[in-house]
Amino acid sequence: MTAAALPVERHGDSLWRRALRKFRRDRVGMLALLVVGSYAVIAAGVMLGWWATGWAEISGPKWAPVSAEHWLGTNIIGQDIFSRAIYSTRTAFEVGLVVAIGATLVGAVLGALAGFYSATWVDEIVIWLMGVLDSVPFILLVAAIAYSLQDSPWSMHIAMIVTFWIGTARLVRGEVIKLKGLEFVESAHAIGLNRLSIIFRHILPNTFHILLVQATISFVAAIKSEVILSFLGLGVKDGMSWGLMISESTFEVLAGYFNNFIAASVLMFGLVMAFNMFSDALQDALDPRTVKSP
Amino acid sequence: MTQPLLEVANLTVEFATDAGVIRAVDDVSFTVTAGETLALVGESGCGKTVTGLALMGLVPSPPGRVVSGSVRLQGKELTRLDEQALRDIRGSRMAMIFQEPMTALNPVFRIGSQMTDVIRRHQGLTRRQARQAAVEMLAKVGIPVPEKRIDEYPHQLSGGMRQRVMIAMALSCGPQLLIADEPTTALDVTTQAQVLELMTELQREFGMAMILITHDLGVVAQTCSQAIVMYSGRMVEQAPVQELFARARHPYTAGLLASIPRIRERQLQQLPVIEGMVPDPLHLPEGCRFAERCAKAKDYCLLAQPELKPIGKTASQVACYAPN
Amino acid sequence: MEVLLYSLRKVIAGIPLVLGVTLISFLLIVYFGPDKTYELVGKNPTAEQIAEVRSQLGYDQPFVTRYVRYLQEIVTLDFGNSESTDEKVSSILARTIPVSLLLAMPGFILGNGLGVALALVAAYFRGGFIDKLIMGSAAVGMSVSFLIAIIAFQILLSSSDGLNLFPVRGWDTSTPLAYIQHVTVPTLATVFVALGYNTRFYRAVIVEEMTRDHVRTARAFGVPPARIFYRNILKNSMVPIVTRVVFSIPLIIISGSLLLESYFGIPGIGKVTYDAIVTGDQPVLKAVVALTAILFVVAQLLTDICYRLVDPRVSLR
Repeated sequence: MTAAALPVERHGDSLWRRALRKFRRDRVGMLALLVVGSYAVIAAGVMLGWWATGWAEISGPKWAPVSAEHWLGTNIIGQDIFSRAIYSTRTAFEVGLVVAIGATLVGAVLGALAGFYSATWVDEIVIWLMGVLDSVPFILLVAAIAYSLQDSPWSMHIAMIVTFWIGTARLVRGEVIKLKGLEFVESAHAIGLNRLSIIFRHILPNTFHILLVQATISFVAAIKSEVILSFLGLGVKDGMSWGLMISESTFEVLAGYFNNFIAASVLMFGLVMAFNMFSDALQDALDPRTVKSP
Repeated sequence: MTQPLLEVANLTVEFATDAGVIRAVDDVSFTVTAGETLALVGESGCGKTVTGLALMGLVPSPPGRVVSGSVRLQGKELTRLDEQALRDIRGSRMAMIFQEPMTALNPVFRIGSQMTDVIRRHQGLTRRQARQAAVEMLAKVGIPVPEKRIDEYPHQLSGGMRQRVMIAMALSCGPQLLIADEPTTALDVTTQAQVLELMTELQREFGMAMILITHDLGVVAQTCSQAIVMYSGRMVEQAPVQELFARARHPYTAGLLASIPRIRERQLQQLPVIEGMVPDPLHLPEGCRFAERCAKAKDYCLLAQPELKPIGKTASQVACYAPN
Repeated sequence: MEVLLYSLRKVIAGIPLVLGVTLISFLLIVYFGPDKTYELVGKNPTAEQIAEVRSQLGYDQPFVTRYVRYLQEIVTLDFGNSESTDEKVSSILARTIPVSLLLAMPGFILGNGLGVALALVAAYFRGGFIDKLIMGSAAVGMSVSFLIAIIAFQILLSSSDGLNLFPVRGWDTSTPLAYIQHVTVPTLATVFVALGYNTRFYRAVIVEEMTRDHVRTARAFGVPPARIFYRNILKNSMVPIVTRVVFSIPLIIISGSLLLESYFGIPGIGKVTYDAIVTGDQPVLKAVVALTAILFVVAQLLTDICYRLVDPRVSLR
């Protein structure tokens, strides 16, 4: 019965090859990928201790102007803004990656289960859970999770995963409902494959294009939420992030010192914008409907 | 000889896609005389629907574009008309109905509202008169209790009923030309026959010309007087329907005819099929586009495209170096 | 009558959702939430004192009993008094919700109205320069953090380094002018951030409706563009548009303005919620959670009824 599985493999291959070809031709998408890549290199450098190691040191006077020593000046207590902004890139990637991977995994598994067992109690429970979590205000949920985890540094990540998996799960559920009626799934049933192996080895891989796009969306959402949560005191606990820099800067801007605010805002905007563009280009490239012949 | 109702000359339509420009209709010319029924035949993707849309000035743009050619309705050039002037012609002098009766009507308005909207626009009637006209037209297309049905929404009608509503709407302003794009394809077989019969009947009664776009040669035999066979955007054969069925000149037409299920003298093991695939519209061959699938293809068929030429003194034309 | 019966059925169908939300909030806020015992007992408490306080707080009761009591409070809308200010929770809500609505409404209306308008323009010029300009700006707007937008507008419009036109923070609705002065900067920030998302969403909806078969039919019958636009495109786009609008209402009432209110020091429900989070004020948090869940059920009901009004294919069964 390998023949029945073949068309899908081929469909998958050609989808990816076509997507790659399309993506390469997309100049905006390629540029966005380049920018995201540069940020990733900066973040990796921070992780390996190559640069921005002195982000916590008080290395100059309060609110020192831009100079050769302090490329972007210093903040209210004399810390170097440039190294803090660079260091925060690492935090952004850490938050983004943890949340994107976590939310996508949870969304994929629950979405696939709900879709495969659609209109059974499994599906009902997942749908109910999605509705319930959608109805709890995000910030309340984060706060509540922060409390119950006794101020764990991961409470923010967990709260985001708990909220962000829903969008992915909805899409995966819909796609799995479509896929499970297809021939290759029927033939997998016919040769007596076990259900879990059908779901996770045969159906879920065919939703990978959705997962990839959703992961990029979760990544961006995580970075943006971090800023607001950190400002509210619910975000990054130790370390430095663009969100913490911007919260610091709320006092500074009223006194007329904008370096902290601008450094964090511009760096963050660059990454989010590039990631948004990358995500769009990816979606375009993976959309099977793009060539509409008459 | 009567003055033709519609003259189409060298019509060419292109679509811009991500992968390149596709020429969906390539150098198509034909005429339709008043009251005549012309069939545009071919498999899906051959350009017959786009031809119909181009006649109406409805090629979706972008990505589509009428690159060249002329369309004249009673001598009036349509391709250079502005939208405003075209709108006055659409629905009143020429109308078009589509394949999918399920989606072709606006789901959120009542049938009557959609019909009277068109009638009032083109006939300048009052609301009450337009409604009366709509009811009469619905009765004419065989809708039972039309004065009640007119207040229903499209989803409350069956597919066949909806297609009847579309026909009623198309005929409500007395067009001289009706373009019907696969009007019966989406319907079940018995409904198909009824709708076709209705269309021919009404055509005779209203004395209008019709272009029937279809992939179904059986439908052509029942309803049409002239037929054009299209393949890969080009016309490959044009002939009066009787001649076409008596002697298909183009090997493609012959293949199409052979693949119709019917009662034969000798039982066949299997219906004959045309082997191979339509050429990729992005990479069209230089020679005859059908050569690759043609059993009779010679070397020279691959070199240049055959022109559409009349055959002897007959009314038929064919684009083939070695017609039957 | 049909609508009434339907609403009743919908409300009953919404019970699992409310139960779910209350269960989760109960688990997180009360059951696994902070232990208040040591805040209430005196210094060097004896074991008896601790036990007494714990029994007062109900900590010695089994899970189900405590959850049922929590549900009772929600059903009777009796949440008691705030732990930090001792004000009745119901009066806190009555005082702060109108403030939040006044704060959020202008931004919400403008954000959605302008979003639909820009989406229409972009969809009309689909693929052209204007479309690219609008969608490019939307992409930029979507990439700006809400907090950054708030601070930037504050610097530009309210600080002495900028135009200095509006108060830096605070809230005053005593006169229409005072209201406009205080609401402008938060509104601008809200619109700036929401517009990108709204425009993108609405454009996708409208483009989808523009490519429907019945639009082609209407064109084939010579219906002019303005009428096609209204009858075929806009009317059919109403379902997704209404859904998005109605479903954002619970959020703007409860948490949408949390950031705005805590940033500008505006005494709305968001600020109260934020303070309750920070101080662990459980009666207030309970009330907010319950209220949100109920609002979501109502929103669902409202959208379904709107569907029925807009789309004759939907039946209220």
